[in-house]
Amino acid sequence: MKRITIICGHYGSGKSEISVNLALKYKINYLIDLDIINPYFRSRSLSVMLEENNIHLVESTIKNMTGSDLPYVSGEGVVPFVNPNITAIYDLGGTENGARVLVQFLDRMKDMNEVDLLCSVNIFRPETHDVKSILKTIAMYEAETQLRVTGLINNTNLINDTVEEDLIRGEEILLEVSKILNIPIKYTVIEESRMNFNHEFQGERIDLIRHVAKKFL
Amino acid sequence: MAKVLMKGNEAMALAAIYAGCEAFYGYPITPQNELPEYLSKHMALHGKAFVQSESEVAAINMVYGAAGAGARVMTSSSSPGIALKQEGITYIAGAELPAVIINVMRGGPGLGGIQPSQGDYKQITRGGGNGDYYLYSLAPESLQEAVDLIKESFDIADYFRNPVMIAVDGLIGQMMEPVDFDREVPKWDLLPKTWAADGNPQGREKNIINSLYLDPLVLEQHNLKLKAKYDEMRKNHQRYELINMKDADIVIVAYGSVARIARTAVEMLTEKGVKCGILKPITIFPYPDQAFAELPDSVRNLLVVEMSTGQMLDDVKIANEGKLPIHFYGRVGGVVPEAEEIVQAVLKIVGGENNG
Repeated sequence: MKRITIICGHYGSGKSEISVNLALKYKINYLIDLDIINPYFRSRSLSVMLEENNIHLVESTIKNMTGSDLPYVSGEGVVPFVNPNITAIYDLGGTENGARVLVQFLDRMKDMNEVDLLCSVNIFRPETHDVKSILKTIAMYEAETQLRVTGLINNTNLINDTVEEDLIRGEEILLEVSKILNIPIKYTVIEESRMNFNHEFQGERIDLIRHVAKKFL
Repeated sequence: MAKVLMKGNEAMALAAIYAGCEAFYGYPITPQNELPEYLSKHMALHGKAFVQSESEVAAINMVYGAAGAGARVMTSSSSPGIALKQEGITYIAGAELPAVIINVMRGGPGLGGIQPSQGDYKQITRGGGNGDYYLYSLAPESLQEAVDLIKESFDIADYFRNPVMIAVDGLIGQMMEPVDFDREVPKWDLLPKTWAADGNPQGREKNIINSLYLDPLVLEQHNLKLKAKYDEMRKNHQRYELINMKDADIVIVAYGSVARIARTAVEMLTEKGVKCGILKPITIFPYPDQAFAELPDSVRNLLVVEMSTGQMLDDVKIANEGKLPIHFYGRVGGVVPEAEEIVQAVLKIVGGENNG
């Protein structure tokens, strides 16, 4: 895992859940919630739990205003780019518009080899249902962030209706994307209730525990 | 199209396109913004009209105009925005025009907050604007139900020549769920829109779209004509679901997201040996009083659960006709009740575990 991981994708592609799970698993120093798109289900809603786990949460400049949809982003978001001792995960907002927020920090980054920009994909989202639409989505994110997407996350799911074949189909489609763009599938996401899936999936497996949306479902 | 994973606001927007919505007029407000955002892209792709108006008042009056011209038309907003639209809504009802209005409710009063709420219940079920009128109002609990009801709602609006309100809260707007858009929904027998102000290509007598009747006797006849529609809705078009009613000792009365959370609570209560059912209104106007007549004799208590301070209680009291004790549990301000809280509220009434 690189020192900085940035996760992009359409809303509902699992960015926040994946960010929180990775941050907890790898004891990441900073979780930077750059989501100014969604009013609900943001990683900042977990501030207490994250701080308890020694993960520093960077969110709005107006802290603890989870009921606010003011598009403020804290300047603290730049810290991992200038301090090489800090590991970080950036959780972008949904759609290409959410990705644009990142650009303000990029010129402070000295070594882009320390940064992964991962695109989370669920083939059951109409915007990323096949190779062509995924390529188009990735091109949009690259245009907005001015960065190359360096890896893919297979988060194919229909929430509680997911079967193993769905993830395998998602992987087949993403392998094609992977070949065309010459980037790896870095992670495959499997929710905790489906731990019995035993197909050998591409990349590292994230056994995902729902934190952000759990209490509503 | 097989099942897809959608965000609620997107799913409701796409459902309108499936229903043949020809024009959408709206103005942004959280937590329904993805709905107009989605339509701003997709209406044009389907050769339909999308306008982001300068205000909610402008949007609803564009709906009034387009509906008068005979188009299938929709607007959406959230609580404070719906409040602004009330003048237009009463004109549309008064002029007997079909339209679909989606209210993705948030906490109030005033600007309130942006988290989920059911605080517009009274406004929705009592008309909302001035004068004697009602909206046929549907309150889905899941994205699939929302999609199915929205697909049907355009037919219902056309059938009654009356606005239909889709009443959901921010949770339904923001959550993700698998949805199948190809599910069959009932088709209503619809007459051609011979009343529309459509430019009159055939040169027939002029159609005038209006809600002004200065002669009291004429307005009275108009009011009675409208009343006959609402009576017909009450008599023949109530919708509800009775869940887990067999031998139920207590029944939770809840609609929308709260009914969904109540389902989880009932599962937890069943494990504790408590027999708890759910009476879920799907139409909140007309209120499903017929459902209360169908409750089994085993029921000894009703518990109304809402994300409001008890706005539905009056309707439950009327439907209950004084038969059963009515209890209430509510969370407000954007706080969504947890299933465990509902379980505790039920246990408080039935007296702890294994009482059922």
